[in-house]
This record gives sequence, C-alpha cells and structure tokens, in this order.
Amino acid sequence: MLSYILRRVMHGVVSIIGASMLIFVISRMSGDPIVLLLPVDAPQSAIDAMRETMGLDRPIWMQYLIFAGKALTGDFGNSYRWQMPALNLVLDRLPATIELALSALLFSIMLAVPLGVLSAVNRGGWIDTVGKGFAMLGQAMPGFWVGLLLILVFSVHLNWLPAFGAGGVSHIILPAIALGWYPVAAQTRIIRSAMLDVLDSDYIRMGRALGAPERLLVWKYAFRNAAVPLVTVLGVYFASMLGGAFVVEVIFAWPGLGRTVVEAVFARDFPVVQAGVLFTSVLFVVSNLLVDLSYGLIDPRIRHG
Amino acid sequence: MKSRTMFMALSLALSPAPALAQATGSLTVAFGAEGTTLDPTKYSAGVDHYFIGQMFEQLIRYDTDLKPVNWLAEKWELQQQDGKAVIDIYLRPGVKFHNGDPMSSADFEFCYERLKDPKVSRWSHLQANVEKFEVIDDLHFKIHFKSPDGDYIAGALQLWALPKKYFEKVGEDGFAKAPVGTGPWKFVSRSVKEELKLEAFDGYWNKDARPGVKDLTIKIIPEDLTRVAAFKSGAVDWIDNVPPSMVAEFKKLPGVKTFTAISGNNLYIDFPTYNPASPFNKLKVRQAVAQAVDMDAIIKSVLFGQGERYAEVGKGSTGYNADLKPYAYNPKAAKQLLAEAGYPSGFETPCYNLTTPREPNVKEMGEAVFAYLGQVGIRCKAQGLEYGAWINLGRRGRSGPPEMDGVLMWMWSQGLPGDPATPWGGHLHSFVAGKGWGSYSYTDDKQADSMIEQLKGTMEQPRREELIRQIAQYKHENVLGGITTYRPVITLAWRDKVEFKPWPFPGAWRGFQEISLKK
Repeated sequence: MLSYILRRVMHGVVSIIGASMLIFVISRMSGDPIVLLLPVDAPQSAIDAMRETMGLDRPIWMQYLIFAGKALTGDFGNSYRWQMPALNLVLDRLPATIELALSALLFSIMLAVPLGVLSAVNRGGWIDTVGKGFAMLGQAMPGFWVGLLLILVFSVHLNWLPAFGAGGVSHIILPAIALGWYPVAAQTRIIRSAMLDVLDSDYIRMGRALGAPERLLVWKYAFRNAAVPLVTVLGVYFASMLGGAFVVEVIFAWPGLGRTVVEAVFARDFPVVQAGVLFTSVLFVVSNLLVDLSYGLIDPRIRHG
Repeated sequence: MKSRTMFMALSLALSPAPALAQATGSLTVAFGAEGTTLDPTKYSAGVDHYFIGQMFEQLIRYDTDLKPVNWLAEKWELQQQDGKAVIDIYLRPGVKFHNGDPMSSADFEFCYERLKDPKVSRWSHLQANVEKFEVIDDLHFKIHFKSPDGDYIAGALQLWALPKKYFEKVGEDGFAKAPVGTGPWKFVSRSVKEELKLEAFDGYWNKDARPGVKDLTIKIIPEDLTRVAAFKSGAVDWIDNVPPSMVAEFKKLPGVKTFTAISGNNLYIDFPTYNPASPFNKLKVRQAVAQAVDMDAIIKSVLFGQGERYAEVGKGSTGYNADLKPYAYNPKAAKQLLAEAGYPSGFETPCYNLTTPREPNVKEMGEAVFAYLGQVGIRCKAQGLEYGAWINLGRRGRSGPPEMDGVLMWMWSQGLPGDPATPWGGHLHSFVAGKGWGSYSYTDDKQADSMIEQLKGTMEQPRREELIRQIAQYKHENVLGGITTYRPVITLAWRDKVEFKPWPFPGAWRGFQEISLKK
C-alpha cells in the first residue's frame, strides 16, 4: 500500500512539473503583457524599462528556470496587474473555490444518488421517467443560466437568499446549486445504470427470496456496490468543478480562484496564471489520489498491491 | 440619448444636498469593475480611479459641473522664466493626510519622482517634458519645463498628494496594504475581487463637500444582472453601470433615483489611411464609410439609446465646436463616392472587432457597423478579438505581423470633461518610432502632424481651444484619424434614502465626495 501511494505521489509530482512547463510556455505564446500594462501611447523606453523590471527581456528557458527555482521557495513573483505577490492572490482565493466546489459536489451527490437509485428501483415507472427528465434538464441548462434564474427567484422575488458574495451558509447555497446542477444528470445515470446491474445480480435475488426487506437490500447491499463507479469519477468531477467554477464565480461575485485565474489569462498576468494552474494541478492530483485510495474502503475486494 | 432626458437626469442629481453634520451610518454600494492598485503613482487604467479617487486628491479637479477648480492647490499660474514654461503652485494650508501628517510640497515632489520613474509608474512619459521640480517652501513649489507641454495642464497638473514620510516609514508593500491620502475617505480594508471598506475622514479639509456617511463598503459585482439583483433585493443601495437595456425600467422604479451622463470614452472607426495600397488611402472611400453607417439607428437599437454621437470632439470637452456635425447617413452617396474612387463594385476588407465588453454591447455595435458597410459594398471579413489581441493589433511599431490592414473598431479614453490633445497625438499624428507620436495611428498627414505638435507645445488654454477647433475641422473634412461614432452613456442608480451628488474623478462619475443617508 505504501509503495502504491509513493508511486502515485511520484506520478503526481511529474504531472505537476509537466503542467508548470506547459502553462509557462502556453501563457507566453498568448501575447505580450506589456501592451496591456502600459498606455497605448507609452514610448519604447517605458516599454523596455517595464520589460526589464518584469524579467521578460530574458530568454524563455532562463525565465522558466528562474520561475521554477523561486517557486520551490514559495515565491511565484508579483502579479503584473495587481502588483502584489501572485501566491497571496491565489492562496487567498483558493479556499473559496474549494468551498464552492465541495458544496456543489455535495449538492449533486445528494440529488443524484436518490434520483439514480429510485429510478433504477422503479425502472420504467413514473419516478424513472421523472428522473430521466430531470437529468436531461440538468444537461440542457448551462450553469450561468441556472445561476441567473436562481438569483431572480430566490433573491429578487422571494428575498430568501443573498444574490452575491461569500459570507456564510446562506451565501453558498445558490452558487453551489448552479455549479452542481450540471453533473447531477451524469451522476444520476451512472448510479441508475450501476444499480440496475447490481439489482439483477444473484445475491440480491437470493436476498429477496429469503424475504430480506427491499429497503435493506437496495440501500445497504446494492447501493454500496453500485457506488464504486460514482466514486471513481468523483475526483474528476471535483477537478472539473474547480476549473469550471469561473462562470458561477462571476455570476455570484464569488471571490474564488477561477475568476482570478481567467481574468489573469486575459490580462496576460503570467505569475498569477502560473501559480493558479499549479495549485489547481496539485488539487487535481490529490483528489484523484484520495479517490483511488477510497476504493478499498467502499469495496474490500479492491486492494492496491 | 435625448438631450431633454439628460438635462432632467442631471437636474435631479445635482440638486443641493442638505448640510452635513458628523458622518453617521453605513452604506453598501456595488461597482461592476475593480481597480488593481490603490497607489496613484501606479495606476494603469481608468477603473483604478474609481477607488484611488475616493482616498487621494490632486491639485486641480473638476466639480459636479465639470468645471476645473483649484483643489489641493490654493492658486497656481503659468509663468515664463528664461523663455521656458514654469507652473508656479501654492498649496492649500491646513490639509492633512489620514495619518495626521500635514501635506506639504515635499509630498508632491515625492509623487513627481515616482511618476517619472518608469520602473514604478506606467505614465512616466507624461513627465518627460519636466526639467525639474523646485520646492520653494512647505506650501509653494514650481514645476520647470524643458519644453512646453499643454497636456500637463489638461491632465489636472498630473500630480497627487502622496505622503512622503508615511511612505518612507512603511515602504512600498506597507503602502499598498494601507494607503494613506488626503481624500474624504480613508482606507479600512480590502479584499481583492470582493470589497473595499472605507471610513469617512474626520479631519478632511473640505468642510463644504464631504461625506455624511461614516462607513462605506464598495462591493465588486462584475455581472450586470447580479448587480441589478443585489440592488433590487436591497443588498446594496447604490450601483453603477445600469445595463443599457434596463435604464428605462430603472428610471421608472419607485423609490429609486438615477443619474445619466456621458462617460469619458470615445469610440471611432479606424482604417489604414497611411498605406497607399489600401482603399482607405483615398479620401472618397473614407467619406463613403462616414456616410455608410446609420449610427443613430445603431445607438437606438443596439445601445438602447445609451450613447451620444459626436463629431471629433465631444460636447463639453476642450475645444468642442457645436457647429461641427457628424456625417449624415446617406448610403446612396456612399455608393456614388465608392464608384468615383474606382470601386463601383465595392471591395473586400478585413474588419476587426472588439469582443471583450469594455463598453456595453460594443461587440454588437461593431457587428452592426460591419453590416452597414456591407450594404454599400465594403464587404467585411469580420474578425472578433479579445482585449489583449485587439490592443496588440491596434498598436504601431510592433516587431512582427499582423499589421492592421482594414477596418478597426477602436476607442480612446480622455477622462471628464476631456481634452483630445493626448489621444490625437496617439492616433491622428503619424507614427514616429521611439518618439511617442502615433503609437496607435494609421494616419500619415504632414499638416495634421504639424498642427498636433503645435497643440502639444501650447499651454495657454484659450489658444489651445482655438487650435483644437482648427484640428477638429481639418480632421473632419479629410476624414483622418478615423470616423468618430459615439460616446457611451452611463447610468448610476441609488435608493432615495441616499442623498448623493455625483462628482467626477478622472474618467468616471463615481466620486463619493458628497453622499449621505436621509435623516
């Protein structure tokens, strides 16, 4: 088990280094940040001075080595745009995005699991039809539209929940629903399909023949096995929510990392982009590792050699 | 935008505020955009002033009628010494910074030193004509010029009160974390992408125009509909940038007041006049473009009326000439002009559009312009560009292709009330590498160059205004430096429990100089 973990950590480190190189090169291919930082009528001398101050006058390989060396000590440089340490900008915003992604994931699971299980148990029935319709609706409605709709109903008309910002449980409900809405459909389908397989298996039929209560069979024996495929993709969902939180963060003025990094991309703010992508990569690697390790807890038959 | 509506909106907003006693209560407002720095020597865009302008002040500022008034300068005058221009400035006595330090000439000298350093400031070129800064005493200093610089006065004398002693004590990082100015609001805290908290400054020097609210929180809500929802749900009591499509609705909302005015931006259609191989090198083609687009219809339909047409210089700006009118929409004449220019069947050209919403509906506006051009035979191969790519394309003197080779939807910001001299130096004067002229110019006209250089060297205001009118006339007749289209109109809204008199800061109407809660 320990060697498996070490191997996975090594893979993760290589992935993160690869991501840092890729983002370093790609961000520099997107254009020159100087033209965005200086007024259009700035003379060449001002442009040259700014380029030198930012270290952008050096060859790209040298820029990367300097970046990598400093990053190891926690120095990601100063944001070109915000003129403050890029790491502080990222670390200040990261908890809000993790909070949002986890809440959205929780919301989607809370909705998808009962929907998927009930659809499978009542295959072809009205609950199944409603579940499928609900899933289709989820896929058809983009997050920004769901977000605006939620604001209109729950903030403007009913005045139950705040329309924007962070600041407590009431603030996170609407953004979490908007972000978690989309994956509900896919998760419901995964659960439904896995449950149908499990409910058809011999041990469930045997349980029924022995007169075991249906609720016990479904939720204790069938669901536990059917949950494995969902858990497998939870890491990916979590990572995609981290990356996809941008739209929801803008709609709800949520002070998260996604909004910060996307704006940094448009502003060619390389230090912030590099720090943001690197930390997102770390989260992605860690969440996938945790998912892999959790298989054994759910299904004792799965053990990592 | 009907002028009557504008007049009524202004009359409403500029009615006298009640006398203000001790600041009390708290207020939460929402802006759609966020500045990146709170250091006035490091600002990079107009949006930075929305925040800097609440805490920091300049020697001159524009009042609610957009008239220049001496602010931190008690008096100043333009002099000549040994044939060179000198601005002689006396500071207002008794002004204090938020930390209690008295304001003095040394603070402005410190600001000048930072502004001229290209490693600190992004506007060092604006100090390039200053020869030296001479401190006479604590409240008296002079700015000596190597060569006359008319833009210096037009830019509100450029300098800000920056607390030298405090800055030297806390350092660059300390100042960034806790900025200190002389303005009506002092810094409390800031959370990037979230909010800025300010507190009314009890020791503020101006007893006549000061906030009546003690605590002010500026929330950042970039999405238009969310900002509107926050206002409608009562979470905030004041918002900026009411979306154009909702302005009419807001003006009818009970218990809500609005203020509508021109912003400091100026939009125009540019093309490569300088290139002999380009069709736009021919005057008749440019005149055809000027008459091919029904800008009034675009403003009405695409911008919901939230734009004001202008011809070269906007109403209220320095050198405005009411007799100079925009070209009228005349597609028949446009086709005729194209035929006379040798393009009876029109021609195909790249057309570059900005897709980043720097102004409301700017992408849709560009698309409508391209459609109108197509109707007279100028067939656009439209390309949408995000802000970075757009500004890179518009800039001259880049090391490599692509060069702008067609129609480009562009804009210049000149602040409020605005002076076109600096923008014209950038896009009407021909491009001169390394000299700062024509940095985004696609025009090459010796007469225009000469007139603009003369304008730059003129510091006397009446003469400047006369020169600006002459240049505008010449520019208009020869359709040089692009075709001016419209200036965006912004609308602010607040609940009527708030007393608010909109003050302009450079480029924006978001100054909370006078804001209070009704008793």
